[in-house]
Amino acid sequence: MSPITLILIAIGLGLAGWLAGRAKAWSFQKSDPSIRLVARPNYHAWYVAVWIVIPVLAFIVLWSIVAPQLVMQSVLASPAANVLPDFGFERQSILSEARAVASGNAQAVFNPDAQGLVKPFYGAISRYNIIGLVVTIIIGFGGGAFAFLRVKPDFRARTRVERTVMIVLLLASLVAILTTFGIFASLVFETVRFFGMISPLDFLFGTYWSPDPMSSAANPDSTRYGAIPLFWGTIFIGAIIAMIVAIPLGLMSAVYLTQYANPRLRAWVKPALEILAGVPTVVYGYFAALTVAPVIRDAAVAVGISNASTESALAAGVVMGVMIIPFVSSMADDSIAAVPSAMRDGSLAMGATQSETIKRVLFPAALPGIVAGVMLAVSRAIGETMIVVMAASTAANLSANPLDRMTTVTVQIVKMLTGEGSFDHPATLSAFALGFVLFMVTLVLNFIALRVVKRFREAYD
Amino acid sequence: MTVIHDNLEETNAKMRARDVSVYYGDKKAIDEVSIDISADYVTAFIGPSGCGKSTYLRCFNRMNDTIPVARVTGTIELEDEDIYGSGMDVVQLRARVGMVFQKPNPFPKSIYDNIAYGPKIHGLVEKKADTDEVVEKSLVRAGLWDEVKDRLDESGTALSGGQQQRLCIARAIAVDPEVILMDEPCSALDPIATAKIEELINDLSGRYAIVIVTHSMQQAARVSQRTAFFHLGKIVEYGRTSDIFTNPIEERTKDYITGRYG
Ligand SMILES: Nc1ncnc2c1ncn2[C@@H]1O[C@H](COP(=O)(O)OP(=O)(O)OP(=O)(O)O)[C@@H](O)[C@H]1O
Ligand SMILES: [Mg+2]
Repeated sequence: MSPITLILIAIGLGLAGWLAGRAKAWSFQKSDPSIRLVARPNYHAWYVAVWIVIPVLAFIVLWSIVAPQLVMQSVLASPAANVLPDFGFERQSILSEARAVASGNAQAVFNPDAQGLVKPFYGAISRYNIIGLVVTIIIGFGGGAFAFLRVKPDFRARTRVERTVMIVLLLASLVAILTTFGIFASLVFETVRFFGMISPLDFLFGTYWSPDPMSSAANPDSTRYGAIPLFWGTIFIGAIIAMIVAIPLGLMSAVYLTQYANPRLRAWVKPALEILAGVPTVVYGYFAALTVAPVIRDAAVAVGISNASTESALAAGVVMGVMIIPFVSSMADDSIAAVPSAMRDGSLAMGATQSETIKRVLFPAALPGIVAGVMLAVSRAIGETMIVVMAASTAANLSANPLDRMTTVTVQIVKMLTGEGSFDHPATLSAFALGFVLFMVTLVLNFIALRVVKRFREAYD
Repeated sequence: MTVIHDNLEETNAKMRARDVSVYYGDKKAIDEVSIDISADYVTAFIGPSGCGKSTYLRCFNRMNDTIPVARVTGTIELEDEDIYGSGMDVVQLRARVGMVFQKPNPFPKSIYDNIAYGPKIHGLVEKKADTDEVVEKSLVRAGLWDEVKDRLDESGTALSGGQQQRLCIARAIAVDPEVILMDEPCSALDPIATAKIEELINDLSGRYAIVIVTHSMQQAARVSQRTAFFHLGKIVEYGRTSDIFTNPIEERTKDYITGRYG
């Protein structure tokens, strides 16, 4: 009996309970019109259904974990299990083969030893299936009967149902939070392992990055694990070059759209700009590698820099900047539009021109929102991988020349995890330490940005 | 047609509006309305909601230009100069004809910068000392100096509603306008703050030509010397405030001031 069947049974029972609860609630009203139900019949119906479905589902979850172990125990207790080797891989494979055949997932066994176990497995599985089914039905009826008996005219079914709904919503929101914690915990765990092999000081302040996944894992050369060139590459590409492109263009387009564009144009341009945000980053990567990088190289050669390469921080940064424009412009647009029009009128009525009004009143008033938008954009940019892989190389390089090859934290994470090193080699583990640093930085940036946005909202409420 | 009381002496007209109509799209909100705004008196616009008082007021500093669908016809002169003519720069016009809005709208800047804003954009001040002087003078005239002189760096939005409105008046005064337009300047304020603003209007009258839109008959009676009663996009009756309130000629004016509608 698969969990799916049990779940269908739960839903069926729930539906029956729903109808029964509603019928009972209606019958009160019908039998005596002077009775006023505290809650409407539908709430009584939901109350009964909830009391059936939730305990049953809880049991199904529990049962799907416990039942296989019970089956295993009873098989091992059978005399046929005596032929099994005591430990090890062979024992496991014999057992799983027999189980597969018994539950109908395989045609026949390869290992003749397994043949004798098929029967005990079959018996145990069907026995526990029946037990599971019976318990499911008992719980369903038990919960349903309990709830059904409580359905009375003065029973406050609505508050109960609403509380249940609220708890379900709460659990749903916890999923995202718990996932974040889970990610964080696993990162921390691996990072600690990495720092057990490489000193954090060498990692955070070293200027040479070239981990060798083939070297001995026992005593790694910690001078090859200096992450400064990666941090620098990330900041240079994501926070400097990309922002030099994105901030002015984003802000200017926001100003144009909010202040000058006529509404018909705005209705077209704004969604078009937002589509930019939906283009997959790989596509930007092609564009950077195939179009922008060669143009930059040719331009550099034309002005006499003969050793310019096709992979450059500039190409990656510029394209990343273009990718980020929608973030900056839509946040700036929202916060400029959120400045009360009374502010603008006040300034215009003082005889300020439109550009003075934008510069001296709207912009300062919208600044917190704009700053927050820029910070979100930065945290997006420093997490970006594809464009850099495709346009700025994977070799670490500590350089201030935008025409140089350069790499970033995220690119190295991918490189280290997909490299040839074994999983407990420091070169592989360094990916987690890098990820941890990146996680912390973007977390702080997002946190600050959200705080700023919140303060800003309050200012005009 | 507008009924104009015949006991009015020649006044020193600061602004003259002639046959002004305003359209919002195809809808006519003001229908050929003429009036003189006296330099020496406070003029009140009264009338039921939606009759076009604000719309008409905004014609005098061309704030209707900021509403894309609005269109103004007719002429308005400021000292014999057509403000809708090609010779008039709207920036200059608004420096000469200031405006105070219904809801106090100080900029989210310091009190000092709120006042210094206008003089700076119009290039009236160069040195810091000049600016300090203008800020102090404007705040003194607006009756706010004593309350804020120790906290000029605080944000203008941190003041109380009444103080904010006086800050807005001070801000308007700072560019030394000739006319001040006020659109229901007290409607968001409590009675005490309202009394302060009314007192301020009395102080300012004579120095500036003032036009005030108000829904309060008492307020019009307390602060103004001339009153125009608006109805359905027209001025129905214009005269001395005391006459409008005690001896209205038109039936509709009578009904309105006795509270029978509006
Ligand atoms: N921006 C606008 N776009 C279109 N129509 C407008 C606009 N502003 C005002 N109107 C219309 O013009 C007419 C006059 O409005 P106005 O605001 O001048 O009235 P008011 O006398 O000031 O009213 P209140 O006493 O309520 O402030 C109204 O019918 C209004 O609906
Ligand atoms: Mg109005």
